[in-house]
Amino acid sequence: MYRSQKLALKYLTAAITLFGIMTVAGLMSAYYYINPDFLFGILHFNIAKILHIDTMIIWLLMGFMGAIYWFLPEEFGRELVGIKLAEILFYVFFGAVVVVAVVFIVVQYGNSDETALWFINQGRKYVEAPRWAAIGVVVVMAVFAYNVIGTAYVTGKVSGITAVLMVDLVPLLVLYLDAFPAISNMSADLFWWWWLVHLWVEATWEVLIGCIMAWSLMQLLGTSRRIVETWLYIEVALVLGTGILGLGHHYFWIGAPSYWLTIGGLFSAFEPLPLLGMVVHAVYDAGTHHMKTTNRPAFYWLMAEAFGNFLGGGVWGFMMTLPQVNLYAHGTQWTVSHGHFAFWGAYACGVLSVIYLVIQKLRSLTQVDGALWKWSFAALNLGLVGMVGALLVSGFAQAFIERAIGGSTHDAFIAGQSSPWFVEGMVTRFIFGLMFAAGYVALVWDLLTIGKRAPVLATAGAAE
Amino acid sequence: MHVDDPAFWRAGAISTVSIMSVVLVMLTIDSLAAISPGGSNVPLYTVINQHIDYKFDDKRGNDMPVIRGAEPLFGKAVDAAAAEALIDKGKMVIQSRSCIDCHTFFGNGAYYAPDLTKAWLDPAWETWKIITGTKTREDAMVKFLMHPDKYRIWTRAMPNLDITQQEAEALVAYLKWMSAVDTNGFPANFGRMQQKQ
Amino acid sequence: MSEIGLLQSALLLGVYVALAGSYGLVYTIARIQDAISLYRLSLVLYGLHGLTAIAIVAWTPLHIGWKGLIVASSAAFLAIPPITWRLLQRTHEPEVRG
Ligand code: HEC
Ligand code: HEM
Ligand code: HEM
Ligand SMILES: [Fe+2]
Repeated sequence: MYRSQKLALKYLTAAITLFGIMTVAGLMSAYYYINPDFLFGILHFNIAKILHIDTMIIWLLMGFMGAIYWFLPEEFGRELVGIKLAEILFYVFFGAVVVVAVVFIVVQYGNSDETALWFINQGRKYVEAPRWAAIGVVVVMAVFAYNVIGTAYVTGKVSGITAVLMVDLVPLLVLYLDAFPAISNMSADLFWWWWLVHLWVEATWEVLIGCIMAWSLMQLLGTSRRIVETWLYIEVALVLGTGILGLGHHYFWIGAPSYWLTIGGLFSAFEPLPLLGMVVHAVYDAGTHHMKTTNRPAFYWLMAEAFGNFLGGGVWGFMMTLPQVNLYAHGTQWTVSHGHFAFWGAYACGVLSVIYLVIQKLRSLTQVDGALWKWSFAALNLGLVGMVGALLVSGFAQAFIERAIGGSTHDAFIAGQSSPWFVEGMVTRFIFGLMFAAGYVALVWDLLTIGKRAPVLATAGAAE
Repeated sequence: MHVDDPAFWRAGAISTVSIMSVVLVMLTIDSLAAISPGGSNVPLYTVINQHIDYKFDDKRGNDMPVIRGAEPLFGKAVDAAAAEALIDKGKMVIQSRSCIDCHTFFGNGAYYAPDLTKAWLDPAWETWKIITGTKTREDAMVKFLMHPDKYRIWTRAMPNLDITQQEAEALVAYLKWMSAVDTNGFPANFGRMQQKQ
Repeated sequence: MSEIGLLQSALLLGVYVALAGSYGLVYTIARIQDAISLYRLSLVLYGLHGLTAIAIVAWTPLHIGWKGLIVASSAAFLAIPPITWRLLQRTHEPEVRG
């Protein structure tokens, strides 16, 4: 095994660990809605939620990095350039995450000065990590880019997939620089903030997961490189072609000019089209291989990715993306419903698929299967879909009562939050959250033991 | 080049992405002018010296801020530099306390607490004036922000975030300025329910 | 937009895309299994999708431009599965033969 693959294992382990912390923090955040006195005066909703969404970003990023560190040396046929530096930075990265989390929990906030932004909390959604840690993330990503681009340079071998990956790493890194400024004008602040958030999740991340899925397909189903590369290019063209200007669906109400209503509505309405193409593609692959694979969990998670991306991004996004609807749906639990479905479908399922692939290689299993992964697959997906459904009910109630009837005042907010539909949605979300958490426990158990317990799973001898 | 050739699709990908990126950059340049203070959509910071309202505009077909007449904040007009200092400070308080991880600004953030886009205009301050024993809206806001747990009017309370008098005043200035931003009609029907009553 | 109009529009828009997805899904399975009955089902699903499009045009308070977009998208949704299928077959041809 290459050293960079050993590093990949570390990243994937860290990702699964943070996934657990994210789940606990999510349950806490959800609980405040049911019992607002929970930890009052000790640890408030905002801190729990920051932990939830920041660990979500980090575990998915670590999952992507792990996947790429896993596939790349095989792609290049050699160890990655600068691997030693990358190994050191893994510990720095993980250590920094722990320090940031402890500071969030213990210190929580500072005074209204630059020191607070440098060392405690930057207070911008998803990029709350203090500046010192954000610099750390930049360094880690820069070394990661160096590993990829440097190795390509040394070997002179650039496949289509690595070329797309290398080009994608540049905007990925540059957009992250948006995590630093503190712009006083909220309109301008949010304008740039959306470049980061939207152009990450609906553009650069889509390309990143596209590259990872291309390698996975080659391994999982033995699809030829020529095919996956053709499809990767098509995907890049369509997803970025609609997603770049789809950014406008976040510019409706932040003070930006009204032409964004047209541009944002139009381009984001196109966004589901390529996602439908991906569903057709996934079903085609499944069908032509007669669902036969040596790694059923990886295969099912891959399918979940295609469907989740379409449902969470395409259907849930489309429901609220036309400006006339978004005027009322904007900034409600409806948004949360879409956010969970889309992130889960588009990214989390993909990372889990890769992890099962890696385990197959790692433990040299000719066949990866069993009962436990099915339980975790079912509990995680049902838990998530249950949460998303409950959130949609709450979101509808909120949009209806607070935004449309009440006109979004403090009174209207309370009326919306107190409506029985809303309240029951919040309780239901919490219950399905518990199911999700049970699925997580089963997942970890399965990952630790699969291929080690059942004798039917013959192993193909020791690793070479 | 032919559709069977990956190079065909690669060329397609490169050209679409380039075109879209160029269009985005052009629109961004235009938008940045509109959203800088004093641009077509975002008022100068000195708007805090004026009276601000939010009314339905028949021509545009949506709600819009109406800025008319003098109404200095805390009773004393400030110059451009002082206004900017207040707004800068206000934003620092917002970031350091991560208000946006409970509240939304222009509908962006977290959904645990009310949207603050038009908080300055919220009829609820009338209630808070009584509870805090203050005469003006801005004084009620300052008192509330400094001790939100003491003046809670709902089961879900805002915690005390150690906000000083000076910080609270900057926040009030910030919220007042924000309510004057033209948000294309979001939120719709603001305060309409109360007016009907 | 009236309050009820909001919920109706949003639900119809969601069902609209979901039905397009179901059509694509069933269409693809039908082609794989060469099953004419499934193919018919896919057309029924697309028909239902078309009905939601008509409902959106007829009943929702969306502006006329968005309604035009809905109709145009329906045409695109109709075409995407067969086009994708044909492209998949073309790209996979060497593999299937070999
Ligand atoms: C832990 C969550 C939390 C944080 C952090 C928080 N708030 Fe609040 N805020 C609330 C809640 C809950 C309410 C409703 C309180 C009530 O009705 O008694 C509220 C109410 C308000 C109101 C009155 C809203 C209205 O519509 O009239 C304002 C203004 C406000 N907060 C501003 C801020 C500012 C500024 C910050 C950051 C410095 C902040 N809040 C941080 C939870 C929070
Ligand atoms: C597939 C990847 C996608 C992911 C991961 C994703 C994720 C998210 C998240 C997390 C938010 C909330 C952001 C915040 O305020 O913090 C959001 C908002 C939004 N998304 Fe997506 N999304 C995806 C695709 C789409 C698509 C395809 C559409 C449109 C068809 C869409 C439409 C929207 C809209 C309109 C909002 C704003 C909601 C509001 O006004 O409050 N999204 N998305
Ligand atoms: C046990 C499971 C989970 C629970 C209980 C939970 C709960 C929550 C809560 C309460 C919020 C705050 C929303 C608000 O501001 O009101 C939130 C936000 C968010 N969560 Fe989760 N979550 C869970 C799992 C996940 C997963 C698996 C993902 C993604 C892979 C995810 C991604 C997000 C995102 C992107 C946001 C921000 C959404 C927005 O503000 O629109 N969560 N979650
Ligand atoms: Fe978006």
